[in-house]
Amino acid sequence: MRPRFALFLLVPALLAAQSLAELQKSFEKQVSEFTLANGLHFIVIERHDAPVVSFHTYMNVGSVDDPGGETGLAHMFEHMAFKGTPSIGSKNWPAEKAAMDAVEAVYDRLDAERNKGLRADAKKIAAIQMELEAAMEKADSYVEPNEYDRVVESNGGLDMNAGTGEDSTNYYYSFPSNRIELWFLLESERFFRPVFREFYKERDVVREERRMRVESSSQGKLVEMLVATAFAAHPYHNEPGGWGSDIEHFRRPAAERFYRQYYVPANMTLGIAGDVNPAEARRLAEKYFGRLPARPLPSQYRTQEPVQEGEKRVMVSSPAQPFLILAYKRPDRHSADDAALAVLDAVLSDGRTGLIYKDMVRDKQLALGAGSQPQFPGGKYPGLFIFFAAPSTGHSAEENEKELYQIIQQVKTSKVDEQTLGRVKTKLRAALIRKLGSNTGLAVELCSYYVNYGDWRKLFTELDDYDKVTTEDVQRVAKTYLVPEHLTVAYTFVPEGGAK
Amino acid sequence: MTSRSLAVAVLCLAVGGLAQTVPSYRQLVYPPLRQVKIPEPVSFTLKNGMRVFLLEDHELPVVNGLALVRTGNLFDPPDKRGLSTVMADVLRSGGTRAKTGDQIDEELENIAASVESNMGETNASLSFSGLKETAGTVLRVFKEVMTDAEFRQDKIDLSISQMDSGIDRRNDDPQGIAEREISGILYGRDNSYGWSIEHADLARIQRADLQQFYRRYYFPKNVMLAVYGDFSAAEMRGQIEALFADWNVEQPAVPAFPAVTAKPAPGVYLAEKSDVTQTFFAMGELSGTLRDPDYPALEVAVNILGSGFTSRLMSQIRTKLGLAYSIGAGWGANYDHPGTFRIVGSTKSASTTEAILAARAELEKMRAAEVTEQELKTAKDSVLNSFVFFFDSPAKTLNRVMMYEYFGYPKDFLFEYQKKVTAVTRADVLRVMREHTNAANLSIVAVGNPKDFGKPLNAAGKLEKIDLSIPPPSAK
Repeated sequence: MRPRFALFLLVPALLAAQSLAELQKSFEKQVSEFTLANGLHFIVIERHDAPVVSFHTYMNVGSVDDPGGETGLAHMFEHMAFKGTPSIGSKNWPAEKAAMDAVEAVYDRLDAERNKGLRADAKKIAAIQMELEAAMEKADSYVEPNEYDRVVESNGGLDMNAGTGEDSTNYYYSFPSNRIELWFLLESERFFRPVFREFYKERDVVREERRMRVESSSQGKLVEMLVATAFAAHPYHNEPGGWGSDIEHFRRPAAERFYRQYYVPANMTLGIAGDVNPAEARRLAEKYFGRLPARPLPSQYRTQEPVQEGEKRVMVSSPAQPFLILAYKRPDRHSADDAALAVLDAVLSDGRTGLIYKDMVRDKQLALGAGSQPQFPGGKYPGLFIFFAAPSTGHSAEENEKELYQIIQQVKTSKVDEQTLGRVKTKLRAALIRKLGSNTGLAVELCSYYVNYGDWRKLFTELDDYDKVTTEDVQRVAKTYLVPEHLTVAYTFVPEGGAK
Repeated sequence: MTSRSLAVAVLCLAVGGLAQTVPSYRQLVYPPLRQVKIPEPVSFTLKNGMRVFLLEDHELPVVNGLALVRTGNLFDPPDKRGLSTVMADVLRSGGTRAKTGDQIDEELENIAASVESNMGETNASLSFSGLKETAGTVLRVFKEVMTDAEFRQDKIDLSISQMDSGIDRRNDDPQGIAEREISGILYGRDNSYGWSIEHADLARIQRADLQQFYRRYYFPKNVMLAVYGDFSAAEMRGQIEALFADWNVEQPAVPAFPAVTAKPAPGVYLAEKSDVTQTFFAMGELSGTLRDPDYPALEVAVNILGSGFTSRLMSQIRTKLGLAYSIGAGWGANYDHPGTFRIVGSTKSASTTEAILAARAELEKMRAAEVTEQELKTAKDSVLNSFVFFFDSPAKTLNRVMMYEYFGYPKDFLFEYQKKVTAVTRADVLRVMREHTNAANLSIVAVGNPKDFGKPLNAAGKLEKIDLSIPPPSAK
């Protein structure tokens, strides 16, 4: 019986390894890359089964780059990137430009009066505000509304959107493959000569987005307070959406400065996946993106987070059902322990066999849901390894917190068994295979691996890193990083009289 | 320094030269789109009556499957709402006669595979996914779960306890409240289309109820199975025939889903929530089915009103007024029963009434005058030019073929839809909006903090409060 048992253990460990090696070999042939003279990098992935193609623009800029007092600016630019250019979105560009400049001139006077502080004249402010409204209305009268979006949608563009995170800003959509040139035109235009029209209306929209995602969501508020507490100095302290008052105050020139500083070609990686000819893509890239002038890369230095010297706790009042997050400091994604932390996370919470699910959800029924995440809120800078739990009815955040410590203690004091480790590695391999079947997924993954690791092949080679992780490594990283002095605890509580 | 200035000068020249060669998007000419290859699934019926569809797709070494079972939570008994959902959950977690659910979890995850069970409104599903090299194991587990579920009591308790916790959390998300309440109002709360599951319903659900529901609906003639991925169709056929040869249970044919009998309930319904800075709103009325001859025109019309970034709702309420981040509308037609036409959005508390009135005004405008030629063209072009994405993966084609057969739709339904969209005129858009929507009949739900509303909400109509309190387990 024993040898058969051993054989049974061996099978999952090797499963998918051969398929994956073969896939990587054939996949290499589908991928080509080139860098333009201005530093802009392209990755092209050929998949010719259907006449469709997906595009991804990965900007190595995010909310960590927001200037102090102007948080949310990276996100604000993301919204402006849909507002068009001098030739897209305007009924009369020279007149519109003059009217937009007039808005700023009035706004300068408004700020000048406000800056007088106690000696500011309220009547004057009200009068200038009226002028400002009129100036904006005039500028808006030259706008061809949403023309950029209309061109994309009417040409069959699908799933067009964008997102701003701590580390990056991403723009994406798909076209039928006969519209490839249109994408090159539109995408190069908006980063070559964006026009920040309707800036202050869109600022209101961005403010509404914060009300929706953060202020009207108990989990949104909790996460905002978690990062604000865990990071004392590093800009991960701020949520990507920015703080409400910053959004209400930043100005168009600040967004334009941000664009000039960070939207430089060498900071931009573009992925194209689908029915695309690489030579044709290169020709079009030179033609459209070759226009972008080379500019120096911005500094990557950000205030380093000082070593945390004791547990921090933050409580957020909310009538909603409780929610709990434990967050431990961890190094950035280039740490030698990155793979072991990823494996630890999978052992803890992947699928129905993860330790946390089995213990807290299935067996003890303390939580409706619970799990972990190895890298939060980003990976470019040292961040957090987090645990979270939504307690089930009748159980408290405190009980869930205690139970999570039990599980953490368990992975620190005893090694996971080989079968669990083998299962986790097989699942990581299979997850990669499944990723390779979608144009949108490939475009983003290859860009992201190229930017974050210097080579898209890391998508495959990180599996070798996972394979090298031993049960000792898993235990060692748990002991090293899951320590009380580097912990931040955040949870919601029901205010007195707030429970229904 | 010198060389750098020189480089800049050369660069400027190059930029100047290139800029002239870049055309306007209006000048681009597109080559015809390459003909899309639509794969043809193999379909057959097993001796036991189960329908099977197979489609080879050799790009990746994986095999996936999806079975549809003709049932749904529309068949929940009135005193045991939620029964079908618990049944579908425990079908998978409760194991088979031979293995517990936990053992199945280990067996599947050891080979990076999955089997998942779900209950929808008008169908149940059981799906699987596995690597090619272990497809046989996954298929066997899938078959055991489908045909030999054991519904162990511990997992029934777990499932019900989780659903109880879910009920207690149902008022935490304001958008969720708006979506749920608008359904309740439009369909009525005395039937399976509009009611909510309560603790008391779950307390009445017994293991025997699950077994009975399972026996009634999970039988071969009531199941369609689609499998796609890296296999030979002939071999897969043999494998499925052998595997399901011993599954021969029979049941009478499943009746049609209950008819929708709701009447319009116009008015403004307010759910108070103190811990938000935004009001989430939903307004709408019953829509129709995909079979309605006006469906293509309605889809175009509602796209113009509220789909995508160029719609009227987006242009007016987001871009022009800056009142919302999220605003949109959908016609919401279903295959076999009327869906709901909805406008949904959110705005800061102070502009609640203003945003709701502005959204309703956009609907009224759609019913008052014809849309512009450009609006019609954008909406039609958007549907027609993105048509190819219906065929961008074999899995999509396979699922559509099976769905059409499940609901008894003609095979060429999608192409007929394409033809009809091409033919829609401005007059059609106005006519269908007038015939199928009625701004005076709208039910409007607002979830927010009324003490911060600027203009009082009753400016939008007669106001009625929604009671969000959750009935305790002992209540009827």
